[in-house]
Amino acid sequence: MEKIELKNVLPAVFAGRDDTGSDVWLRNVAFERGKYYLISAESGTGKSSLCSFIYGYRCDYSGLIAFDGSDIRPLGVKAWCDIRKSHIAYLPQELRLFPELTAMENVELNNRLTGFKTQKQILDLFDTFGIPEKAHSTVSRLSIGQQQRVAIIRTLCQPCDFILLDEPVSHLDAANNKIVADIITAEARRQGAGVISTSVGNNVAINVDKEFKL
Amino acid sequence: MKLNSGGIMWKLLRKNISAAQLTGFAIANLIGLTIVILAVQFYGDVKPVFDDEESFIRRDFLIITHRVTGMGALMGSNAVFSDEAIADIEHQPWVRKVGRFTTSGYSVYASVGLGGDGRKLSSQMFFESIPSEFIDVDAADWNFDPKHPVVPVIVSKDYLSLYNFGFAAAQGMPKISEGMVGMIPLMFTLTGAGNSEVIPGRIVGFSSRLNTIVVPEEFMRWSNERYSTTPSAAPARLIVEVNTPGDMKIKQYMDSHNYEIAGDKVDSGKANYFLTVMTGIVIAVGALISLLSFFVLMLSIYLLLQKNTRKLQDLLMLGYSPAEVSKPYINLVIAINASVMVLSVILMIIGRAYYMPLLEAFGSVGGSLWLAIAVAFTIMALITAGNVTAIRRRISTLWRQKE
Repeated sequence: MEKIELKNVLPAVFAGRDDTGSDVWLRNVAFERGKYYLISAESGTGKSSLCSFIYGYRCDYSGLIAFDGSDIRPLGVKAWCDIRKSHIAYLPQELRLFPELTAMENVELNNRLTGFKTQKQILDLFDTFGIPEKAHSTVSRLSIGQQQRVAIIRTLCQPCDFILLDEPVSHLDAANNKIVADIITAEARRQGAGVISTSVGNNVAINVDKEFKL
Repeated sequence: MKLNSGGIMWKLLRKNISAAQLTGFAIANLIGLTIVILAVQFYGDVKPVFDDEESFIRRDFLIITHRVTGMGALMGSNAVFSDEAIADIEHQPWVRKVGRFTTSGYSVYASVGLGGDGRKLSSQMFFESIPSEFIDVDAADWNFDPKHPVVPVIVSKDYLSLYNFGFAAAQGMPKISEGMVGMIPLMFTLTGAGNSEVIPGRIVGFSSRLNTIVVPEEFMRWSNERYSTTPSAAPARLIVEVNTPGDMKIKQYMDSHNYEIAGDKVDSGKANYFLTVMTGIVIAVGALISLLSFFVLMLSIYLLLQKNTRKLQDLLMLGYSPAEVSKPYINLVIAINASVMVLSVILMIIGRAYYMPLLEAFGSVGGSLWLAIAVAFTIMALITAGNVTAIRRRISTLWRQKE
């Protein structure tokens, strides 16, 4: 997948608004593979909605979203499974980890779909994020900041053309923000992937090619 | 460390599985299924007793006569079946075929030598013949050659019993088996139309269907030509093969035409009919229990999926397909249903071991187990298919109704 385009898109909840004052809604926007984008937003401007439209689990919008020029509305279950497994790596704002499983098991649940990383590579990521001793702790026992790092590791354990991050560093300090930024850019560079990150203030410390205000 | 990834899915999705509900389903379905297949097996084991050629409750053949009433006997009329009456019977929907009894029109005197002391058993008697397709004895020498006249005879099994348990016991004479009977020399003296002749005979078999003395049709024609003065009369008895024994229409037809069915064959037909009805009722009860248990399982699965909705959606978000997410639950259902089926077959075999000795008294060696096993398999396959479809549909709904 080389390009994600939004043409005149507006969430159904905003229907009727002519001018949203947004760089994204009701505009034509394109995200290209290999480039880094920041979407900064205030609360309630539809940041998570945008992620869920692109990730295909909501379609309550008007306008057109296209992957490489093809409308995504008609895509079926099989196509979306393939996109989620191999083309878009997504970090939801609410993390969506399974609290009863260990950190490692959570990561493994995504990694086993494609067998993308080895056990050692995953443990190295835990190490880099400063939580090597947490790999085998159940997620419910981790702090929110630790959980956010586990969720990022899980997101990176798959092949992708775009990394879609919904507030990736909202619970992290500046030092950890830097680590996350480094790892994400390294992974994106390795795969030639684009990065789309949202933020309500605490931006991930990546040098972006373009910033949109939502 | 190598993680068992299939194990992770199970660890995640087994949460909220209610062991009590699943056990309840398994027990209820086990009871229902066992009732069904035990009934099927019992039916299969009892049926040969009804169908067996040698059985006393042979059911497919009826021997019918006119009802003998006081007036009819005095009038001497209507005791035989006219061609029209036979044609009418042949056209009834429950009739497969009709055979006519031909009676000897001359006098027969039979004598049997018993032992070496010159004692003889003699009796006036008669012959009848019917088309050989109605004869339930597979006799090798069932023919007659006028050049070397020897008369093969099939007699009712009752006669042998009468001799063995009545006459022989009372007179201190040896009991005889069916095999020995063929070796006993019989002499028939046929008298009529001014002729008399002694012809050797031999009992070639015993019939439980025909309550008479039967000779081959060739012999009947030959002997009637020589010794009978009366022209071949219309038959007084008919043998009818029916395809629906126990059918009330047969009884109604017989009553309306004043015909009588010999012996208790109709009763055995009724017994067979009630066996079928009773088996049907028992199977229906078992099937109902199975059906209800099926709904218990469905309910349990729905509750389970409901409680695990969020987890299932999160797995779908990672890129798992609905089929992959359904798999642990489908495997669970298949494992439970397969265990229920195996246990049920085992229970059926144990149950069968209890009743078979009772049936063996009637000479039943039992039917095959395969029908009951096939029924168990079919029912469980249907229930499993229903469960699997429900799980798949439910999880597909999760895919469509995300958030």
